[in-house]
Amino acid sequence: MIVPARQFGTLIGLLALCAILWILTPHFMSVSNLLNVAEQTSINAIVAVGMTFVILSGGIDLSVGSIVALSGVVLGTSLQAGHSLAVALPLSLAVGLLCGLANGALVSWGGLPPFIVTLGTMSIARGAALLFTEGRPVSGFDPSFRVLATGRVGFIPAPVIETTVVYAAAHFVLARTTFGRYVYAIGGNEEATRLSGVSVRFHKTMIYGVSGLMSALAAVILTARLNSAQPIAGMMYELDAIAATVIGGTSLMGGDGTLAGTLVGALIMGVLRNGLNLLGVSSFLQQIVIGAVIVVAVLIDTVLKRKNRT
Amino acid sequence: MTWNDMKKTIALVLTAAALSASCNRGATGNAGTSKPTVALVLKTLNHPFFVDMRRGAQEAADRLGVTLQVQAAEREIDVEKQMQIVENMIQTGIQALCITPSGSREIVSALVKAKDAKVPIVVVDTRVDAKAAADAGVRPETFVGSDNYEGGKLAGEYLIRVTGGKARVGILEGIPGHETGDSRMRGFRDAVKGSPGITIVASQPANWERDQGFNVFQNMLQAHQDIDSVFACSDLMALGAIEAIAAAGKTGRIRVIGFDALDDAKKAIAAGTMEASVAQFPSEMGRAAVESAVKVIRGETVPPDIKVKLELVTKDNVK
Repeated sequence: MIVPARQFGTLIGLLALCAILWILTPHFMSVSNLLNVAEQTSINAIVAVGMTFVILSGGIDLSVGSIVALSGVVLGTSLQAGHSLAVALPLSLAVGLLCGLANGALVSWGGLPPFIVTLGTMSIARGAALLFTEGRPVSGFDPSFRVLATGRVGFIPAPVIETTVVYAAAHFVLARTTFGRYVYAIGGNEEATRLSGVSVRFHKTMIYGVSGLMSALAAVILTARLNSAQPIAGMMYELDAIAATVIGGTSLMGGDGTLAGTLVGALIMGVLRNGLNLLGVSSFLQQIVIGAVIVVAVLIDTVLKRKNRT
Repeated sequence: MTWNDMKKTIALVLTAAALSASCNRGATGNAGTSKPTVALVLKTLNHPFFVDMRRGAQEAADRLGVTLQVQAAEREIDVEKQMQIVENMIQTGIQALCITPSGSREIVSALVKAKDAKVPIVVVDTRVDAKAAADAGVRPETFVGSDNYEGGKLAGEYLIRVTGGKARVGILEGIPGHETGDSRMRGFRDAVKGSPGITIVASQPANWERDQGFNVFQNMLQAHQDIDSVFACSDLMALGAIEAIAAAGKTGRIRVIGFDALDDAKKAIAAGTMEASVAQFPSEMGRAAVESAVKVIRGETVPPDIKVKLELVTKDNVK
């Protein structure tokens, strides 16, 4: 199921990219810049964890960006209403989780295509976030909350540590628990999994729940980072998360891929954006380069897969 | 990844690092000339306003012999992306940062990083929230921009003049919570407040966008058949509204006043489909921003507020 060679392909890609940037600009390979990249990547990387679960199970989740916005404004509003973080944080995570569970329930029990369900949720959650805040950003939080994004442990930014913890936990779930096995099994062959007595519906619902929860976690960091919860936040995050996942070698057909790959994929996106900024590349050209990298990464992946098969 | 894979990974990372270290030795020397670098971080580059601003800034940079680095997010509202750009630009060792904030409060977090890196800040076009900046200890060197409130007022006063103080107005707002749009709208509302004959029948955000201006105004027309005037907080939204008016077959019967005096808007004014637009001078802003940044780099003082002129463009003075 896990083909190490392919994950290494992505990792080599990342290292090659770093090496090229090292040669092209003196500003890239410094501790402060690398930490900078890691910090900037954290939000996309966390959203991509959920996306990886969903894509591994053969689905797709377009609603992640809107869930980021909705959980963010719930968090921001309850903090501003004077609730402590101990109340606001679980509340906003619960909102994300519930959105995800609703997606999952509609996909599994409703029998609807994930693309359609999450497209609907994308609009519903966005609308809810706008309605809830009357379209205005909620800003200005206590420093004790903001340390979640601005704090440092030693010299390592807090978001980097949070991302590491999330990846470690998610990796454990995916690789060491039966739930994790079922994620792969459902994506590999849903019918066979069902026939072997696994409650596919229950597990699928949970998978989308994980995705919603990850979006809510990302919202916490985003809100703390910007010192503001915006109802228009997180637009197009779904595309960045899907890109990180597929660059990381996860098959859109499901059943095949790793979180390590996704992390490397997210880092490639982050390093690329950072490097292109450092090089002063025009922002239009940047979009072309990023698009090309996505296509080339998946192309290499497909070619390697074909080779492995023959 | 298994432990074995992990070991291989670590080995690979080290090898690659060693390899690239050895081939990098000679490369750091070509960091370029000693010309100071000024960064101009815009909201976006897919809007003629910012393209003009960039042009003005580039001309000033060329004249003053500084290197200008222009970066912008893909979408105007993407504060997080703008923050990343600021963080990345700081890494390149820029000497000054000129920025048009995508969010008045949100951008403060990024400006704190500039402050920590001792990079002077010139704020352009959209103000930074004064309280949020003060709380974070961020003190921009100067603000370069037009007074959006005055611009909105200019538009409101003009409407009173041409209608004789009798109108039913629909307002197209910018993104809610944005200082620029809010000020323009406040200025407009304050100007017409004293005229009892002028009623604002609807006011809805169309998020600065042309297609949303079209849709929102089409909906407004459905709900309020008697609207005879529109104030749009930007020309793109005004141009969208003009299309909606044309689609409803009401061209010429509804006055449209916009903001920005974009080329397309000037054409519409000349053609008579649009009444007026408040002209800002973005290239002037770009020029003044770079000039101020250079002054700050040279240790000269700059005024805290640099006002760029505003002008109402109507069919009488449209070029």
